[in-house]
Amino acid sequence: MWKKMLSIAVCAFLVCVFTGCSEDKGGKKFTVGFDSSFPPYGYVEKGEFKGFDLDLAREVAKRNSWEIVLRPINWDAKDMELNSGSIDCIWNGFTINGRENSYEWSEPYVDNSQVVLVKKSSGIKNLAGLKGKVVAVQTDTPVQKALSAKGSKEALGKTFKKLIVTPNYNNAVMELEAGSVDAVAMDIGVAQMKAKENKAFVILPETVITEKYGIGFKKGNTALRDAVQNTLKEMVADGTAAKISAKYFDGRNVLIIKGAVKKAPAVAVKAVAPVTNAMKKAQQAAEKAAGK
Amino acid sequence: MDYASMLTELLKGLLVSVEIFFLTLLFALPLGLLIAFGRMSKNCIVSNIFRVYISIMRGTPLMLQLLVCFFGPYYLFRIPLTDPYRFIAVIIAFSLNYAAYFAEIYRSGIQSIPVGQYEAAGVLGLTPLQTFFRIIFPQVAKRVIPPVTNEVITLVKDTSLAFSIAVMEMFTMAKQIASAHTTMIPFVAAGAFYYIFNFLVAFCMERLEKRLDYYR
Repeated sequence: MWKKMLSIAVCAFLVCVFTGCSEDKGGKKFTVGFDSSFPPYGYVEKGEFKGFDLDLAREVAKRNSWEIVLRPINWDAKDMELNSGSIDCIWNGFTINGRENSYEWSEPYVDNSQVVLVKKSSGIKNLAGLKGKVVAVQTDTPVQKALSAKGSKEALGKTFKKLIVTPNYNNAVMELEAGSVDAVAMDIGVAQMKAKENKAFVILPETVITEKYGIGFKKGNTALRDAVQNTLKEMVADGTAAKISAKYFDGRNVLIIKGAVKKAPAVAVKAVAPVTNAMKKAQQAAEKAAGK
Repeated sequence: MDYASMLTELLKGLLVSVEIFFLTLLFALPLGLLIAFGRMSKNCIVSNIFRVYISIMRGTPLMLQLLVCFFGPYYLFRIPLTDPYRFIAVIIAFSLNYAAYFAEIYRSGIQSIPVGQYEAAGVLGLTPLQTFFRIIFPQVAKRVIPPVTNEVITLVKDTSLAFSIAVMEMFTMAKQIASAHTTMIPFVAAGAFYYIFNFLVAFCMERLEKRLDYYR
């Protein structure tokens, strides 16, 4: 009896493994690496990956007829994931400032300042009020770097009693709620969502640092970067991106990237095969001359 | 990043790991003995309580136990937390978890001693307490050293779980340096530190085993 059950279990397992392999349809895969505990940019709801960035990524993949693979990663290992090719890009509220030379960046698409979330009852009114307080930040974030030694906001960081580094934002906010920290320095988008969820929280009016989000690709991978960026611009131009933004940011459009109308599709150019570059240029010049 | 500052960072983290290690042993080794007695109690209610305790501690991840120990007081009982409680929660969770494993090791050791020895001690007029500490425990101690060494070595490596409640131990430091500078070197260095640490642990335990080589 047990042997039979065991063999059934083993068979089921093998079937799962092999069907898992055969899912590869040969189409181009677009693997997006993200931190799955980073609402509203990327998070899990009812067992599914949701988020502003993930919806944008899904739409980009759909328009390029790529198969999208959403890969939650350990944020600390993101560079190794990207460089080893296990993900194609990091698209998850990814700050450009301070990392300008480490990735092949898209144009910035969201302006995201770092703010401080505190409890209303704490009586903290501004950044100076954080003196002697315990402040939490997420590990490996720009605001952590800024507040630590040699960072741009080191002076502010030094006024804190202690800077606590948590594995993710959720832990930091739980600690704020539980009282083990007095404040959390975090992205404004996440802070606004948390402040809306929990009326006991309030965001300090001053920002710690201002920063912009981009999509990070592996150094040198300009081809994929351009393809994604152009599609994103089209989505901004036709209003799809604004709709996605409204869904996650209370109707606000957080996008700062400029839209661009779709260029003549590459397929059409190919169809008129004999047209060489020189001929195309001549044609354009003629059109210009004709006042088009 | 220069190697000197990388090593100082790692050593800072190592210090935290070492603190967790020794404090956990300090509390878990004696606590394990108490749990072993509870588990072997003739009172079936007591022995079942400890049976359930061991089952839960061994059956759930240590990371989960860490989160419950730290956040539990607030989210279950609404007791506001303070920052120093963070490290205390790590020690509580590690001690409770490891004590469960040690208890079962002690139990196997104690139950391996033949009943005849208890009878002989009784005939010689020793009280049960004297019997345990003079006759049984010295024999148990030497028998349980190899499995205890196993657990102790696992404990060294498990200290890396403390980061789940934001305690910066060595492996977290290594991950941070690695992600900031895109290099594998901190991992190699951290691996070397863990290995040396465990080598020393194994060495000391071996010496201890030799010291306890009585009754031959």
